[in-house]
Amino acid sequence: MKHLPKHLRPRWRYLAVEIEAWPDASLNRGAFQRELWYAAQNLIGDSGSADADLTVLGFDSADGVAETIVRARRGTVDDARAAIACIDELGSDPVGVRVRGVSGTVRACSERYLHGRAGISEERDVVFENESRTAAVRNSLLDVRGPDGFTGATQLDFE
Amino acid sequence: MYEAVYAHPDGESTASRVATAAGRYGYDGIVVRGLDASPDYDRLRDELDVDFVDAVEIDAPDPERASGAVGNYRPQRELLILRGGTNALNRFAVEQPRIDVLSRPMHGHGNFNHVLAKAARDNGVRIEFDLGPVLRSNGGTRVQALSDLRKLRELVEYYDAPYVVSARPRSHLELRAPRELAGLGEVIGFDREQVLDGLREWDRLAARNRERMSESFIAPGVERGKYEKDD
Repeated sequence: MKHLPKHLRPRWRYLAVEIEAWPDASLNRGAFQRELWYAAQNLIGDSGSADADLTVLGFDSADGVAETIVRARRGTVDDARAAIACIDELGSDPVGVRVRGVSGTVRACSERYLHGRAGISEERDVVFENESRTAAVRNSLLDVRGPDGFTGATQLDFE
Repeated sequence: MYEAVYAHPDGESTASRVATAAGRYGYDGIVVRGLDASPDYDRLRDELDVDFVDAVEIDAPDPERASGAVGNYRPQRELLILRGGTNALNRFAVEQPRIDVLSRPMHGHGNFNHVLAKAARDNGVRIEFDLGPVLRSNGGTRVQALSDLRKLRELVEYYDAPYVVSARPRSHLELRAPRELAGLGEVIGFDREQVLDGLREWDRLAARNRERMSESFIAPGVERGKYEKDD
Protein backbone atom coordinates (compact mmCIF):
# COMPACT_ATOMS: atom_id res chain seq x y z
CA MET A 1 0.00 0.00 0.00
CA LYS A 2 1.18 3.52 -0.63
CA HIS A 3 2.78 4.90 2.49
CA LEU A 4 1.24 7.78 4.38
CA PRO A 5 2.20 11.39 3.74
CA LYS A 6 4.69 12.57 6.29
CA HIS A 7 2.33 14.68 8.40
CA LEU A 8 -0.01 11.70 8.90
CA ARG A 9 2.64 9.20 9.95
CA PRO A 10 2.83 8.32 13.64
CA ARG A 11 5.50 10.04 15.71
CA TRP A 12 7.77 7.66 17.54
CA ARG A 13 10.07 7.75 20.51
CA TYR A 14 12.96 5.30 20.81
CA LEU A 15 13.99 3.94 24.21
CA ALA A 16 17.49 2.61 24.70
CA VAL A 17 17.15 -0.36 27.04
CA GLU A 18 19.88 -2.24 28.84
CA ILE A 19 19.28 -5.84 29.93
CA GLU A 20 21.40 -7.72 32.43
CA ALA A 21 21.20 -11.39 33.44
CA TRP A 22 23.24 -14.18 34.97
CA PRO A 23 26.01 -15.37 32.64
CA ASP A 24 24.28 -18.60 31.61
CA ALA A 25 21.13 -16.83 30.35
CA SER A 26 20.31 -16.79 26.66
CA LEU A 27 19.02 -13.36 25.70
CA ASN A 28 17.39 -12.96 22.32
CA ARG A 29 15.15 -10.53 20.56
CA GLY A 30 12.16 -12.86 20.18
CA ALA A 31 11.92 -13.65 23.87
CA PHE A 32 12.29 -10.00 24.83
CA GLN A 33 9.58 -8.88 22.39
CA ARG A 34 7.22 -11.55 23.72
CA GLU A 35 7.83 -10.58 27.36
CA LEU A 36 7.43 -6.91 26.48
CA TRP A 37 4.03 -7.53 24.89
CA TYR A 38 2.91 -9.64 27.85
CA ALA A 39 4.12 -7.04 30.32
CA ALA A 40 2.35 -4.23 28.46
CA GLN A 41 -0.86 -6.19 28.07
CA ASN A 42 -0.93 -7.19 31.73
CA LEU A 43 -0.14 -3.69 32.95
CA ILE A 44 -1.89 -1.25 30.61
CA GLY A 45 -4.36 -3.59 28.90
CA ASP A 46 -5.15 -4.23 25.26
CA SER A 47 -6.10 -0.66 24.43
CA GLY A 48 -3.05 0.81 26.13
CA SER A 49 -0.77 -1.71 24.42
CA ALA A 50 -2.25 -0.87 21.05
CA ASP A 51 -1.70 2.83 21.71
CA ALA A 52 1.90 2.37 22.80
CA ASP A 53 2.58 -0.10 19.96
CA LEU A 54 5.79 -1.34 21.58
CA THR A 55 8.22 -2.89 19.13
CA VAL A 56 11.75 -4.14 19.71
CA LEU A 57 14.04 -2.88 16.96
CA GLY A 58 17.71 -3.72 17.43
CA PHE A 59 18.96 -6.36 19.83
CA ASP A 60 22.60 -6.79 20.62
CA SER A 61 23.55 -9.38 23.23
CA ALA A 62 26.72 -10.97 24.57
CA ASP A 63 27.22 -13.22 27.60
CA GLY A 64 24.48 -12.08 29.91
CA VAL A 65 24.20 -8.42 28.89
CA ALA A 66 22.16 -6.97 26.05
CA GLU A 67 21.31 -3.59 24.59
CA THR A 68 18.20 -2.95 22.61
CA ILE A 69 15.99 -0.22 21.21
CA VAL A 70 12.27 -0.24 21.95
CA ARG A 71 9.98 1.88 19.81
CA ALA A 72 6.95 3.51 21.43
CA ARG A 73 4.42 6.00 20.14
CA ARG A 74 5.12 9.58 21.21
CA GLY A 75 3.19 10.42 24.38
CA THR A 76 3.25 6.88 25.72
CA VAL A 77 6.85 6.86 26.88
CA ASP A 78 5.91 6.69 30.57
CA ASP A 79 3.64 3.71 29.96
CA ALA A 80 6.43 2.08 28.00
CA ARG A 81 8.86 2.64 30.87
CA ALA A 82 6.41 1.08 33.29
CA ALA A 83 5.86 -1.95 31.06
CA ILE A 84 9.60 -2.41 30.58
CA ALA A 85 10.14 -2.21 34.35
CA CYS A 86 7.69 -5.09 34.79
CA ILE A 87 9.81 -7.48 32.75
CA ASP A 88 11.50 -9.68 35.35
CA GLU A 89 12.24 -12.82 33.35
CA LEU A 90 13.10 -13.73 29.77
CA GLY A 91 11.90 -17.29 29.39
CA SER A 92 12.98 -18.54 32.80
CA ASP A 93 16.09 -16.39 33.21
CA PRO A 94 15.72 -13.52 35.70
CA VAL A 95 16.75 -10.21 34.14
CA GLY A 96 17.35 -6.65 35.24
CA VAL A 97 16.23 -3.93 32.82
CA ARG A 98 16.87 -0.21 32.71
CA VAL A 99 15.96 2.53 30.28
CA ARG A 100 19.16 4.44 29.53
CA GLY A 101 17.50 7.21 27.59
CA VAL A 102 14.89 8.27 25.08
CA SER A 103 15.43 9.79 21.64
CA GLY A 104 13.37 10.91 18.68
CA THR A 105 15.32 8.92 16.08
CA VAL A 106 16.89 5.48 16.02
CA ARG A 107 20.19 6.97 15.05
CA ALA A 108 20.34 9.48 17.86
CA CYS A 109 19.25 6.76 20.26
CA SER A 110 21.99 4.34 19.34
CA GLU A 111 24.68 7.00 19.07
CA ARG A 112 23.89 8.55 22.40
CA TYR A 113 22.96 5.65 24.62
CA LEU A 114 24.23 2.40 23.18
CA HIS A 115 27.92 1.93 23.41
CA GLY A 116 28.37 -1.79 23.94
CA ARG A 117 29.16 -2.84 27.46
CA ALA A 118 31.93 -5.34 27.80
CA GLY A 119 30.71 -8.93 27.84
CA ILE A 120 32.15 -11.70 29.99
CA SER A 121 35.88 -11.41 29.71
CA GLU A 122 37.02 -14.48 31.61
CA GLU A 123 36.23 -17.27 34.03
CA ARG A 124 38.19 -17.35 37.25
CA ASP A 125 38.39 -19.50 40.37
CA VAL A 126 37.59 -17.57 43.54
CA VAL A 127 37.13 -18.31 47.21
CA PHE A 128 33.62 -17.36 48.29
CA GLU A 129 32.29 -18.21 51.74
CA ASN A 130 35.38 -20.33 52.35
CA GLU A 131 34.69 -22.51 49.31
CA SER A 132 36.34 -22.64 45.95
CA ARG A 133 33.95 -21.55 43.19
CA THR A 134 34.14 -20.45 39.58
CA ALA A 135 33.09 -16.94 38.70
CA ALA A 136 32.35 -15.14 35.47
CA VAL A 137 34.23 -11.86 35.54
CA ARG A 138 33.13 -8.69 33.72
CA ASN A 139 35.22 -5.62 34.52
CA SER A 140 35.04 -5.50 38.30
CA LEU A 141 31.77 -7.46 38.50
CA LEU A 142 31.76 -11.14 39.34
CA ASP A 143 28.95 -13.69 39.08
CA VAL A 144 29.88 -16.56 41.37
CA ARG A 145 28.51 -19.97 40.42
CA GLY A 146 27.09 -21.83 43.41
CA PRO A 147 25.15 -25.04 44.02
CA ASP A 148 21.81 -23.24 43.77
CA GLY A 149 22.34 -20.50 41.21
CA PHE A 150 24.59 -17.50 40.93
CA THR A 151 25.55 -14.87 43.46
CA GLY A 152 26.32 -11.35 42.28
CA ALA A 153 29.49 -9.85 43.73
CA THR A 154 32.19 -7.31 42.93
CA GLN A 155 35.96 -7.26 43.15
CA LEU A 156 35.61 -5.56 46.55
CA ASP A 157 34.20 -8.76 48.07
CA PHE A 158 37.44 -10.61 47.36
CA GLU A 159 39.99 -8.15 48.73
CA MET B 1 17.05 8.83 46.36
CA TYR B 2 17.71 5.56 48.14
CA GLU B 3 16.40 2.06 47.60
CA ALA B 4 16.08 -0.49 50.42
CA VAL B 5 17.52 -3.82 49.29
CA TYR B 6 18.38 -7.28 50.56
CA ALA B 7 22.06 -8.19 50.30
CA HIS B 8 23.82 -11.55 50.41
CA PRO B 9 23.17 -13.80 52.39
CA ASP B 10 19.58 -12.49 52.61
CA GLY B 11 19.50 -11.82 48.87
CA GLU B 12 21.32 -13.11 45.82
CA SER B 13 23.88 -10.32 45.36
CA THR B 14 26.37 -8.80 47.74
CA ALA B 15 25.86 -5.27 49.05
CA SER B 16 28.68 -3.94 46.87
CA ARG B 17 27.15 -5.45 43.72
CA VAL B 18 23.69 -4.02 44.39
CA ALA B 19 25.26 -0.66 45.24
CA THR B 20 27.25 -0.60 41.99
CA ALA B 21 24.04 -1.21 40.05
CA ALA B 22 22.13 1.33 42.16
CA GLY B 23 24.77 3.96 41.41
CA ARG B 24 24.36 3.43 37.68
CA TYR B 25 20.56 3.48 38.01
CA GLY B 26 20.63 6.94 39.57
CA TYR B 27 20.30 6.22 43.27
CA ASP B 28 22.43 8.09 45.81
CA GLY B 29 22.64 5.11 48.11
CA ILE B 30 21.14 1.91 49.36
CA VAL B 31 19.55 0.89 52.62
CA VAL B 32 20.69 -2.64 53.44
CA ARG B 33 17.80 -4.50 55.04
CA GLY B 34 20.01 -6.67 57.20
CA LEU B 35 18.59 -9.89 58.57
CA ASP B 36 21.85 -11.85 58.39
CA ALA B 37 23.81 -9.54 56.08
CA SER B 38 26.49 -7.49 57.77
CA PRO B 39 28.95 -6.13 55.21
CA ASP B 40 31.89 -3.94 56.17
CA TYR B 41 30.09 -0.61 55.74
CA ASP B 42 33.02 1.71 56.43
CA ARG B 43 35.16 0.10 53.78
CA LEU B 44 32.35 0.00 51.19
CA ARG B 45 31.52 3.67 51.76
CA ASP B 46 35.18 4.53 51.18
CA GLU B 47 35.50 2.43 48.03
CA LEU B 48 32.23 3.29 46.25
CA ASP B 49 30.50 6.58 45.46
CA VAL B 50 27.25 5.15 46.79
CA ASP B 51 26.12 5.62 50.37
CA PHE B 52 25.21 2.63 52.55
CA VAL B 53 22.69 2.78 55.37
CA ASP B 54 23.18 0.15 58.04
CA ALA B 55 19.60 -0.99 58.62
CA VAL B 56 17.97 -4.01 60.16
CA GLU B 57 14.73 -5.63 59.10
CA ILE B 58 13.08 -7.36 62.02
CA ASP B 59 11.22 -10.49 61.00
CA ALA B 60 9.39 -11.65 64.12
CA PRO B 61 6.40 -13.98 64.38
CA ASP B 62 4.59 -11.92 67.04
CA PRO B 63 4.75 -8.51 68.77
CA GLU B 64 6.37 -9.89 71.95
CA ARG B 65 9.43 -11.13 70.13
CA ALA B 66 9.45 -8.11 67.82
CA SER B 67 9.55 -5.85 70.87
CA GLY B 68 12.67 -7.58 72.18
CA ALA B 69 14.39 -7.23 68.82
CA VAL B 70 13.47 -3.53 68.58
CA GLY B 71 15.08 -2.88 71.96
CA ASN B 72 18.18 -4.81 70.92
CA TYR B 73 18.78 -3.28 67.52
CA ARG B 74 17.65 0.34 68.02
CA PRO B 75 20.93 1.53 69.57
CA GLN B 76 23.10 -0.41 67.09
CA ARG B 77 21.65 0.30 63.66
CA GLU B 78 20.98 3.45 61.66
CA LEU B 79 17.52 2.41 60.53
CA LEU B 80 14.98 0.01 61.93
CA ILE B 81 12.46 -1.70 59.67
CA LEU B 82 9.79 -4.04 60.97
CA ARG B 83 8.37 -6.61 58.59
CA GLY B 84 4.60 -6.49 58.94
CA GLY B 85 2.11 -8.83 57.37
CA THR B 86 -0.18 -9.76 60.25
CA ASN B 87 -2.67 -7.51 61.97
CA ALA B 88 -0.94 -7.88 65.33
CA LEU B 89 2.47 -6.90 63.93
CA ASN B 90 1.07 -3.98 61.93
CA ARG B 91 -0.67 -2.67 65.04
CA PHE B 92 2.47 -3.11 67.11
CA ALA B 93 4.65 -1.30 64.56
CA VAL B 94 2.52 1.81 64.11
CA GLU B 95 2.30 2.29 67.88
CA GLN B 96 6.08 2.24 68.36
CA PRO B 97 7.85 5.56 67.72
CA ARG B 98 11.13 3.62 67.96
CA ILE B 99 10.35 1.88 64.66
CA ASP B 100 11.20 3.82 61.50
CA VAL B 101 9.44 1.81 58.79
CA LEU B 102 6.63 -0.72 58.70
CA SER B 103 7.45 -2.94 55.74
CA ARG B 104 4.84 -4.67 53.49
CA PRO B 105 1.85 -4.24 55.84
CA MET B 106 -0.57 -5.80 53.34
CA HIS B 107 1.42 -8.96 52.72
CA GLY B 108 -0.30 -12.29 53.47
CA HIS B 109 -3.15 -11.84 55.94
CA GLY B 110 -2.09 -8.36 56.98
CA ASN B 111 -4.53 -5.49 56.65
CA PHE B 112 -4.62 -1.79 57.33
CA ASN B 113 -7.27 0.65 58.50
CA HIS B 114 -7.91 4.21 59.59
CA VAL B 115 -6.89 3.51 63.21
CA LEU B 116 -3.47 2.26 62.15
CA ALA B 117 -3.03 5.13 59.67
CA LYS B 118 -3.69 7.70 62.42
CA ALA B 119 -1.35 5.92 64.82
CA ALA B 120 1.37 5.79 62.15
CA ARG B 121 1.04 9.54 61.57
CA ASP B 122 1.14 10.34 65.29
CA ASN B 123 4.15 8.12 65.94
CA GLY B 124 6.01 9.01 62.73
CA VAL B 125 6.20 5.41 61.54
CA ARG B 126 6.71 5.28 57.76
CA ILE B 127 4.37 2.96 55.90
CA GLU B 128 6.05 1.14 53.03
CA PHE B 129 4.45 0.85 49.60
CA ASP B 130 5.85 -2.43 48.33
CA LEU B 131 6.00 -2.38 44.52
CA GLY B 132 7.68 -5.82 44.41
CA PRO B 133 4.58 -7.92 43.67
CA VAL B 134 3.50 -5.47 40.96
CA LEU B 135 6.89 -5.81 39.27
CA ARG B 136 7.46 -9.52 39.73
CA SER B 137 4.18 -11.40 39.90
CA ASN B 138 1.23 -11.76 37.58
CA GLY B 139 -2.37 -12.90 37.43
CA GLY B 140 -4.48 -13.04 40.58
CA THR B 141 -1.65 -12.37 43.04
CA ARG B 142 -0.81 -9.19 41.18
CA VAL B 143 -4.41 -8.00 41.06
CA GLN B 144 -4.64 -8.59 44.81
CA ALA B 145 -1.39 -6.70 45.39
CA LEU B 146 -2.65 -3.79 43.29
CA SER B 147 -5.93 -3.51 45.13
CA ASP B 148 -4.09 -3.71 48.47
CA LEU B 149 -1.78 -0.92 47.34
CA ARG B 150 -4.78 1.19 46.39
CA LYS B 151 -6.41 0.74 49.78
CA LEU B 152 -3.18 1.56 51.57
CA ARG B 153 -2.62 4.62 49.40
CA GLU B 154 -6.09 5.99 50.03
CA LEU B 155 -5.64 5.66 53.79
CA VAL B 156 -2.14 7.12 53.78
CA GLU B 157 -3.26 10.07 51.65
CA TYR B 158 -6.35 10.80 53.73
CA TYR B 159 -4.57 10.78 57.09
CA ASP B 160 -1.36 12.26 55.69
CA ALA B 161 0.70 9.44 57.18
CA PRO B 162 4.42 9.32 56.31
CA TYR B 163 5.44 6.69 53.75
CA VAL B 164 8.33 5.19 51.84
CA VAL B 165 8.40 3.41 48.47
CA SER B 166 10.50 0.38 47.64
CA ALA B 167 10.60 -2.48 45.15
CA ARG B 168 12.24 -4.70 47.81
CA PRO B 169 14.85 -6.12 45.41
CA ARG B 170 16.64 -9.34 46.41
CA SER B 171 19.42 -8.98 43.82
CA HIS B 172 20.89 -6.39 41.48
CA LEU B 173 18.63 -7.80 38.76
CA GLU B 174 15.45 -6.97 40.66
CA LEU B 175 16.52 -3.35 41.12
CA ARG B 176 14.61 -0.79 39.04
CA ALA B 177 15.55 2.83 38.35
CA PRO B 178 13.62 5.67 40.04
CA ARG B 179 12.11 6.88 36.76
CA GLU B 180 10.83 3.42 35.96
CA LEU B 181 9.23 3.15 39.39
CA ALA B 182 7.69 6.60 38.93
CA GLY B 183 6.31 5.56 35.53
CA LEU B 184 4.90 2.38 37.03
CA GLY B 185 3.42 4.32 39.94
CA GLU B 186 1.63 6.61 37.53
CA VAL B 187 0.03 3.66 35.75
CA ILE B 188 -1.22 2.12 39.00
CA GLY B 189 -2.69 5.32 40.43
CA PHE B 190 0.13 7.07 42.28
CA ASP B 191 1.43 10.53 41.49
CA ARG B 192 4.81 10.64 39.88
CA GLU B 193 6.10 12.92 42.63
CA GLN B 194 4.55 10.72 45.29
CA VAL B 195 6.69 7.75 44.25
CA LEU B 196 9.89 9.81 43.99
CA ASP B 197 9.12 11.37 47.36
CA GLY B 198 8.74 7.92 48.85
CA LEU B 199 12.22 7.05 47.60
CA ARG B 200 13.63 10.31 48.97
CA GLU B 201 12.07 9.61 52.36
CA TRP B 202 14.74 6.92 52.93
CA ASP B 203 17.50 9.59 52.73
CA ARG B 204 15.64 11.86 55.10
CA LEU B 205 15.17 9.04 57.60
CA ALA B 206 18.81 8.01 57.39
CA ALA B 207 20.02 11.60 57.81
CA ARG B 208 17.72 12.17 60.79
CA ASN B 209 18.82 8.97 62.53
CA ARG B 210 22.49 9.65 61.90
CA GLU B 211 22.13 13.05 63.47
CA ARG B 212 20.40 11.48 66.47
CA MET B 213 23.14 8.89 66.83
CA SER B 214 25.92 11.46 66.69
CA GLU B 215 27.60 12.28 69.96
CA SER B 216 26.54 15.91 70.08
CA PHE B 217 22.83 15.06 69.98
CA ILE B 218 20.90 15.18 73.25
CA ALA B 219 17.24 15.71 72.29
CA PRO B 220 15.52 17.24 69.25
CA GLY B 221 16.70 20.87 69.20
CA VAL B 222 19.22 20.31 72.00
CA GLU B 223 22.81 19.68 71.03
CA ARG B 224 26.10 19.57 72.81
CA GLY B 225 28.18 22.42 71.45
CA LYS B 226 30.60 25.13 72.42
CA TYR B 227 29.84 26.73 75.74
CA GLU B 228 31.44 29.36 77.93
CA LYS B 229 33.11 28.38 81.16
CA ASP B 230 31.91 30.38 84.12
CA ASP B 231 34.32 29.65 86.90
